[in-house]
Amino acid sequence: MTIWEIIITSVIKIAIALTSLLLSVAYMVYFERKISAWAQNRLGPNRVGYRGLLQPFADVFKLLFKEDIVPDAANKTLHTMAPFISLFVAFATYAVVPIGPEVNLFGYQIKLVVADVNIGILYVLALTSLGVYGITLAGWSSGSKYSLLGGIRSSAQMISYEVSIGFSIGGVLLMAGSLRPIDIVNAQYGGMWNAILQPIGFITFVVSAFAETNRLPFDLPEAEPELVGGYHTEYSSFKFAGFFLAEYANMIIASLLIVTLYLGGWQIPYVDKLGLSEGLTVVLQIASFLLKTAFMLFVFIWVRWSIPRFRYDQLMNLGWKVMFPLALLNIVWVAMLIMIFKL
Amino acid sequence: MAQKKRKKDLSFWERIYIVEIIKGMILTLKNMLRPKFTMEYPEVKFEPPASYRGRPVLVLEENGVERCVACGLCSRVCPALAIEVQASETNLEKERYPEKFEINMLRCIFCGFCEEVCPEEAIVMSKDYELVFTNRNDAIFGKDKLLIPVEQLRDRIEFLRKFK
Amino acid sequence: MPQITIDGKQIEFKPGQTIIQAARHAGIEIPHFCWHPELSVSGNCRVCLVEVEKMPKLVISCATFASEGMVVHTKSEKALEARNAVMEFILINHPLDCPICDEAGECKLQEYAYAHGKGESRFEEIKNRKEKRVQLGPYVKFDAERCISCSRCIRFSDEIAKANQLTFVKRGDRVTITTFPGESFDNPYSLNVVDICPVGALTNQDFRFKSRVWEMSHTESICIGCSRGCNIDTWVRNNQILRLTPRFNPEVNSYWMCDNGRLNTFKHVNSDTRIDGVYIRHNGALTKSDWDTAYKNVSTELRKYRSDEILFIGSPYATLEDNYVLKKLAAQFNSIPYFLTHIKPGDQDDILIREDKTPNSTGAELLGLKKLKDYEELLTLFKNGKVKAAYIVEDNPAALDEELKEQLSNLKLLVVHATNRNETSELAHYLFPAATYAEKHGSFVNFMGRLQRIKPAVETVELDRALDGMSMSRWDKFGTKFDRWKQGYKYDALPSWKILSRLINALNEKVRYNMAEEVFNEISNNVEAFKGIDYDSIGEMGVQIKYELV
Repeated sequence: MTIWEIIITSVIKIAIALTSLLLSVAYMVYFERKISAWAQNRLGPNRVGYRGLLQPFADVFKLLFKEDIVPDAANKTLHTMAPFISLFVAFATYAVVPIGPEVNLFGYQIKLVVADVNIGILYVLALTSLGVYGITLAGWSSGSKYSLLGGIRSSAQMISYEVSIGFSIGGVLLMAGSLRPIDIVNAQYGGMWNAILQPIGFITFVVSAFAETNRLPFDLPEAEPELVGGYHTEYSSFKFAGFFLAEYANMIIASLLIVTLYLGGWQIPYVDKLGLSEGLTVVLQIASFLLKTAFMLFVFIWVRWSIPRFRYDQLMNLGWKVMFPLALLNIVWVAMLIMIFKL
Repeated sequence: MAQKKRKKDLSFWERIYIVEIIKGMILTLKNMLRPKFTMEYPEVKFEPPASYRGRPVLVLEENGVERCVACGLCSRVCPALAIEVQASETNLEKERYPEKFEINMLRCIFCGFCEEVCPEEAIVMSKDYELVFTNRNDAIFGKDKLLIPVEQLRDRIEFLRKFK
Repeated sequence: MPQITIDGKQIEFKPGQTIIQAARHAGIEIPHFCWHPELSVSGNCRVCLVEVEKMPKLVISCATFASEGMVVHTKSEKALEARNAVMEFILINHPLDCPICDEAGECKLQEYAYAHGKGESRFEEIKNRKEKRVQLGPYVKFDAERCISCSRCIRFSDEIAKANQLTFVKRGDRVTITTFPGESFDNPYSLNVVDICPVGALTNQDFRFKSRVWEMSHTESICIGCSRGCNIDTWVRNNQILRLTPRFNPEVNSYWMCDNGRLNTFKHVNSDTRIDGVYIRHNGALTKSDWDTAYKNVSTELRKYRSDEILFIGSPYATLEDNYVLKKLAAQFNSIPYFLTHIKPGDQDDILIREDKTPNSTGAELLGLKKLKDYEELLTLFKNGKVKAAYIVEDNPAALDEELKEQLSNLKLLVVHATNRNETSELAHYLFPAATYAEKHGSFVNFMGRLQRIKPAVETVELDRALDGMSMSRWDKFGTKFDRWKQGYKYDALPSWKILSRLINALNEKVRYNMAEEVFNEISNNVEAFKGIDYDSIGEMGVQIKYELV
């Protein structure tokens, strides 16, 4: 491939990735509302468009037409910057997640990932750590005590849980022997999903992912009864929409990562033994990847409407006294697996 | 109510919490699959039972005269001061009639005290719950909006005779 | 003093008092319908039955004289049982009219039925039907069904009004009240029977169905119909006076007032002819202006005239405060205000009505205003030809005589304070809106030298019911500007003393009165007759002043 071909394919990939992510974020909001309604024996949004399918657009337009309020006490620059940091981090992480194997399209070998970085997982960890800045800056720059408390809580929470996330991933990396996401997926070939091989690591990762994305039961940064809106109390209009989108984008990223790291990515066990054509296999694999992600997203929402919020001290206890030791245990476990079975 | 469990009473499986979480989530899942009872309002309208307290209305007798004698008790008992009555003399046997009878629907709290206190069974709570106005003056209902023929209120009047 | 024991309480009484009077004196209320402190005893309602020890039967306390050592029980089982029985008996033929009855809320029968009644009736037969709308006289309507035959109205017309116009006819349950054949119940005190009627049988034609009593606020005030100054309550709803009722004052009017005072002295307060805001004559027509311009213009115009060219005319309709400040203004021009008396010779009786039809002529005279016996005296003042300007406060001389009107219209400057449009106000060059007697604080001195106070009952633009401590009904307390029942019109008017004191300020002379009370305190410091009196000592009943008129 020439440099131009690489540029063009990259641009196309970025465009597809961004639009699909934005759309899915919008519809995540819709499904969140629908599923919460079902869980509470309601119908949910059903007025805008067929079965309310245009509701996300109505929501977005409503947010855009609202007045953008910046409090007097706010640090204007940081206050404006914060949502963009959050958004940027959420979208940038998406770049390294592979949604399928290499495909042969129009005579080109194309990897179904925006950037096949050989330190992909490191990149993800680095960016999610950056995400703390968005929220902390939002909390600090608003000049409101609620925002500040929300920001502080969230930074403490995210830093704590990043530790467990890091150690959980440690197990996966040991298995795959690579930081490249495609290698990690390939290492789970043939039903050897990390979720099955290292269940403790899976659980710690999922729980920490919940905490990392500030979703219930760990949404203390925006605990409404105590903190009004948490770090985004003083945000309105487009900037608020920024945080809103970032939250859902983060959720999608988290799901994608869980699928990639633990649920075998696009892998369908023994699909190559069926003797299907290469094209069909790839389509099936991509579909399986999307399905797994969709299921994880459903779990995210499902958990939110089932489990009450933790207390802050419980959250910290859980993070440091339970998740962290468990993640360490998981590494020992994986190391033993590798030692014994010579995987 | 179930006995509150102390932390020391919990079994191992309850302690690790995961099982309990899954139980809870299955409960939510079951609820998601249950049928919904939501009435889709503008298309489907709720037909309230006789005991429903909708907007208060005045009973209009079959001969076209209101029952109200403007005694002002509803106005006095109204905790929100929503009702204003101006009496005047009439040549009918009842001597007195409301020259002006206004209910400020912004003040009304639908408590039904007016209906309870009315000695003439002249003000009753209707089944009408669709009250929309766009300015303060529209919210003040005069006799033109309040008088409702007695046939339409039979349900409520019978209910009152039985239970009041 | 001899003593009597009522309900275990030792009470002193004056010989000749009945039990009910002795009890009332000591603050023990014995229920009664037919007994009235100012009327003779008839003893026919039987509701005041009490148990007296060592008497074989219960006695009616209104007709039994108290005697030394008597032991009375008003709440013993026997007395209560008898009272309940009497109530049941009275209620047998009393219609369930409370919803349409104007008396509801101040009805004795309603109160006693609530306190002493059984709450249900054993009477299964059909109640008596009688005529419900009998026009007894021009102002009084009678509902025969509601009547409990207490005879208070009959005794009133015989004993107080001395008119002998009413009587019972028929017997038993058919008994009813009527006028003697060919007579109409038209004596000048007829409406008092509406007040004393313990039920709603007699109603005031003027107030009938206007308002429920609990919707109105009431303010203690003084009637301005004549120089008697009957004590009254002013009943106001939605900033409108709906009725006046007499207020008990043994020194002035007892429980009564005349029909003229009751019906005709408040109508002008809410009438269409009220003057709302300041008017200045402009190109021959009175046009609305603002206060500051008026003060400025009037003060500059007044300065153009010498003391013998200006005539200040006070008023016996105005309060002491108004006349006093007018006198102060006149002093700026080395002049003394005059005032006209309004006497209807012969229109006077021994009961209440006086021929002097103004409330404050004695007061105006005591303040040192020069009294003019009639309009001719005023005319002569004009006729000497020097007068070029006049300042008239709350009086209407132009209505008295055509020639006087002519003289007034020829003046170079005529400043008028008036509450309503009248003949004089139409001639004015500057017309100030004066607050009526129902819109200001002030004081009057009646014909026998009793100093009494009026209080505001109706709001003007400058008054606020809550902030100025005016009496408030439930509606006044909780109403907002969006409630139609709180939107009663407020006129842009000021008490004359306030207008005058601001005018004096505009003449660069400092007077600072914020309240009528301050004006009165100055009067009591400066005028011998009012020495040592203040608003508090006048109180609700007024005080008798000592004075000598030249």
